[in-house]
Amino acid sequence: MPAAGVKRFAARATGALTLPPVLAGCDAPLSTLAPAGPVAREIAWLWWAMLGGAAVLTLLVLVLLAMAFGPPRKVAARRWTHGLGLGLSLPVLAVTLAAGLWVGERILPRDDGALEIEVHAVQWSWAFTAPGPDGPVTTRDRLILPAGAPVDLIITSGDVIHSFWVPKLGGKMDAIPGRANRLRLQADAPGTLAGQCAEFCGLGHAVMRFEVEVVDPADWENALRAAADDGDAADD
Amino acid sequence: MLSLAGPGIWAAGFTLVYALHGTGCARGWPEAAAMGPVTLHAAALWAGWLVTLATGALLLRLLPAVGAGAGLRRDLPRAGAWIGLGATLFTLLPVAVASSC
Amino acid sequence: MTDSTAPDPADTRAAAQDTALAIAANPPRRALGLHRELTKVWANDRGWWGQVTAVNHTTLGLRFMGTALVFFLIGGVLSMLIRAQLATHDGAFLDTELYNQIFTMHGSIMMFLFAIPMLEGLAIYLLPKLLGTRDMAFPRLTALGYWCYLFGGLIMLTALLFGVAPRDGWFMYTPLSSAAHSPGINADVWLLGVTFVEISALAAATEITVTILRQRAPGMKLTEMPLFAWYILGTSVMMLVGFPPLILASVLLEVERAFDWPFFDVARGGDPLLWQHLFWLFGHPEVYIIFLPAAGVLSTLIPVLCRTQILGYGAIVASILALVFLSFGLWVHHMFTVGIPHMALAFFSAASLAVAVPTVVQVFAWIGTMWQGRPELKLPMYYILGFFLTFVMGGLTGVMLAVVPFNWQAHDTAFVTAHLHYVLIGGFVFPMLAAAAWWMPQITGRERVRGLGEAAFWVILIGFHGTFFIMHLTGLLGMPRRIDVYTENPEWVWLNLTSSIFGFVMTIGFGLFVLDMALQAFLGQRVRRDPWRAPTLDWAMPLPAPAYTFASIPAPRHLGLDARAALLPLARGEGLLPGAPRGRREFLVTSLAGARPDHVAILPGNTALPLALSATIGGFVLLMLAGLYPLTLLPLLGVAVLVWVWGRGMVRPVADAPIAVAPGWDLPEQGLRRRTLGWSGSVCLLVANGTLFASLVFGVGFLAVVAPGWPGPEAQAGRAALPGVLLAALMPALGALAVRRAEAAQRQGRDGWRATRLATGLGVLVNALALGALAWLAAGHMDDPTGHARDALRGVLAGYVALHVVIAAGLAGFALDQFRRGEITPRHAGVLPTWRLWQDYAAVTAPIAAVLAAGMGMGG
Repeated sequence: MPAAGVKRFAARATGALTLPPVLAGCDAPLSTLAPAGPVAREIAWLWWAMLGGAAVLTLLVLVLLAMAFGPPRKVAARRWTHGLGLGLSLPVLAVTLAAGLWVGERILPRDDGALEIEVHAVQWSWAFTAPGPDGPVTTRDRLILPAGAPVDLIITSGDVIHSFWVPKLGGKMDAIPGRANRLRLQADAPGTLAGQCAEFCGLGHAVMRFEVEVVDPADWENALRAAADDGDAADD
Repeated sequence: MLSLAGPGIWAAGFTLVYALHGTGCARGWPEAAAMGPVTLHAAALWAGWLVTLATGALLLRLLPAVGAGAGLRRDLPRAGAWIGLGATLFTLLPVAVASSC
Repeated sequence: MTDSTAPDPADTRAAAQDTALAIAANPPRRALGLHRELTKVWANDRGWWGQVTAVNHTTLGLRFMGTALVFFLIGGVLSMLIRAQLATHDGAFLDTELYNQIFTMHGSIMMFLFAIPMLEGLAIYLLPKLLGTRDMAFPRLTALGYWCYLFGGLIMLTALLFGVAPRDGWFMYTPLSSAAHSPGINADVWLLGVTFVEISALAAATEITVTILRQRAPGMKLTEMPLFAWYILGTSVMMLVGFPPLILASVLLEVERAFDWPFFDVARGGDPLLWQHLFWLFGHPEVYIIFLPAAGVLSTLIPVLCRTQILGYGAIVASILALVFLSFGLWVHHMFTVGIPHMALAFFSAASLAVAVPTVVQVFAWIGTMWQGRPELKLPMYYILGFFLTFVMGGLTGVMLAVVPFNWQAHDTAFVTAHLHYVLIGGFVFPMLAAAAWWMPQITGRERVRGLGEAAFWVILIGFHGTFFIMHLTGLLGMPRRIDVYTENPEWVWLNLTSSIFGFVMTIGFGLFVLDMALQAFLGQRVRRDPWRAPTLDWAMPLPAPAYTFASIPAPRHLGLDARAALLPLARGEGLLPGAPRGRREFLVTSLAGARPDHVAILPGNTALPLALSATIGGFVLLMLAGLYPLTLLPLLGVAVLVWVWGRGMVRPVADAPIAVAPGWDLPEQGLRRRTLGWSGSVCLLVANGTLFASLVFGVGFLAVVAPGWPGPEAQAGRAALPGVLLAALMPALGALAVRRAEAAQRQGRDGWRATRLATGLGVLVNALALGALAWLAAGHMDDPTGHARDALRGVLAGYVALHVVIAAGLAGFALDQFRRGEITPRHAGVLPTWRLWQDYAAVTAPIAAVLAAGMGMGG
């Protein structure tokens, strides 16, 4: 499938581009450019493609500007306003819209019985409630996910608006009083990731962080049980 | 004044379809089947989009009959009508492709 | 047409002829004599009192721009504090509370106290000069706008000095900004201060619209006016429609904070997303409100600097039209992460992409213009090139952010901070710097000192890109907006440190720019007239610009000339309405599209009334801040009295004799016309008012359909309230009949006199009845508005209708007073047409409000 090929290429290009020292930071814990899941990977691919397009277009404008310095020329108005103005922008934007919608549709949550974890944000901490083997387990500032499986996060807020964001896994979703928002994420492999609040929520905004512990699906229930035993869990 | 008609039709259509969409999602129209596989929601949105497009096209057809004058006085209403039609086509395109609620 | 931004001078001259606007020249007089005669009438009073009473557009335009520049520098200092805090990861510089106040104030100052007033000032300063008239349509309103801006800005600055400035981010998301989560007056300072400043935005938008539509020099058709005027017309219309949603939102939130009416509280049927919708319904058009005037500057400067004509005048006008509409269809792209269904996101994503099209058309029209001519690398051109580089990149990141999935990642990160600074500094500040370099000789009458301006440009450009280019990467590496420390993320340190260092470089650049302006103002050599060899009327005058702007109003034949050819004939009074022979401030009012002379308008002179009115409004704001709510009735009463006095100031003695504006051209005075400038101004205000009402209707619909917690608890006030509702809903319509009867009788003259008075008296009565009905409802026949959003919204709808019947009753009373004074005659309609406008508006909105109020309980 050509699309898949493009994506593989983009992924490889992504990998290659993260190597130069100046971009060493790309692999940082909160980087959107070092995806650790399919959703973030799709979006990173979109970013690199748009960056390439933007670079070409900027260059085009700069070259046209540089060429303007010189003796007067006879120019056809419609070639600039209609030809370049409409003729160039409309196809580029149509392709961008299509790519955005295509990626957007692919990463939406759907009704397929995926694991649901409740995320409750308050000033300034996170409570994650997962359906454990012995009833729901709530952990504070620590989200435990099974690797390789889609998870739907049901995001709510207890006071002001917050925003749930694990950059390496995918986009953010706001936690809004009175609403339960659904966000689908999936982590590739076991490991530790970082998450944070992305919507300004008052004095503790900068430190409203959490840890995402991705475990092997077989170990997930054990990890939850351990978290509950640890006293790591919230007491509710 | 006539130049405002085209973009005005877009604005009305855009508002209408967005309102239909929001109301439909809130009131559970997607579950209400109107005819066969087509939900009430999809039908309403498609209708809104097509009616707006048709109105825009009608404006474009009628303009030469209404608009008098020369130069920009003639061209601006035409440009406005094209802007409205193009914007309707482009911005409401998601009716056809995106998931509704 | 005098303008290189117009289609083609040959065309224009031909067009000017076929409208048969052949107006003969007035005999030439000595320019100095005219100058003295006009200066005596138009100049500001002497001394500091003269500054208080000034209403002149040149004075006030410059004062707007000067004040905006001061706020820009203050906002810039705040941004340096932010950059100093972020230079290291543990930011030991400011505490979080102060940091939050500083970034909130940085954004609020730059948006509301710099960008908007700056563009208003530019428009107010320039428009009369460019259109060939002597002042703005409502000079006292200009002054009122300035004082409201200044006082609102000072209130916010004072709050910052005392450490009680707003701290919830410049978009003030509730519930963070609600009484529960933001106690203290910090949020109130924002809500009241910004709304106070917005009075000046609405005032400016009203008079700009009226000035462009009705004061163009005879023969300057709408379709041929300078492009700058088209851009500003687009801007002012957008301001009329764009600001009301924010004003409504601010009022609702302030009422929630002050009186606990729940509009945004989910527990009682409100919804915090309503704030976001209303805020961005203003906030996104705001970006284009800021960009359009800047683009107007570019369209004016580029052709002259390339010694050619603008390319694609028609395409540019069509682009402005498209931008004005499309920019109202993208507000939700600031809300992609609030959990809205994908299809709705997709609509707004598509609209956000579509809005790029007209912008691209303009960019290529400008580059095409440069190809067509020979660009001269003078100082304004440096800034224009800086604009292209910066704005194109900002536009492209804007396209990226319009793409929903990418937005989910980049939203609320440093990437967005970088994008918006590329757009606003690239798309507004650089063109404004070009404008400053361009018009400074006109403002100061002096030439600039060589070299310094270029140095400032390079330092600003390098500083800007050094600060913000890598900030895109900072955002993609996960740094959110509005954090003060990042101890766990050492990888952001070098990025932030670089941004901070270059930020200070940029500040040095702006320092050089200010130094350059100061040197030019005080040390520059006298500049010769028309230094740019420009074709627009703004240069067809002595430098610096005189108080009266034009000694005679340009006639159609002057519009085909270059500025320097038109200069002398106009100064010698060969145009229309030369001098000030009647000792009053006069100019011509022309027809909307074709600019045919219609009547002579007489302007009020210097007065301190605007200062008094804005100080009274300021008193209201301060009492609200202090929480002394019952006392606020006093300043409100004061406002009513002053508005009455203001209205009296618009009345001229009855005069039937026509005024000769040119040989063979006699025009009536404004009193003989029903559609005066004041009437047009009322139409503009009602457009803004209608948008406010539409936003309120949207709010009702949004909460009733989307908010959780509906329908609310069983309403207590049921059918018992019906008589009051019906009375309030229908009485304004009776008033509309009364005003028609009064007008018909007025035209009949003496025979109809009794009937006219009777009808007018009836007008006062029915509006008073409606007000009484509303008072009866409020006094016990409505549910407690603090109980549920439904009841709070009913309260707001009742208040809205009450305000309008008060206005209608006031206008009817004003008409009665005019009868008593003999100012209404069969030929002089006085205030009747304006009363009719407001009465009709009340008659339409009152029943809608009643239906909404009643219907809210039933839906769902």
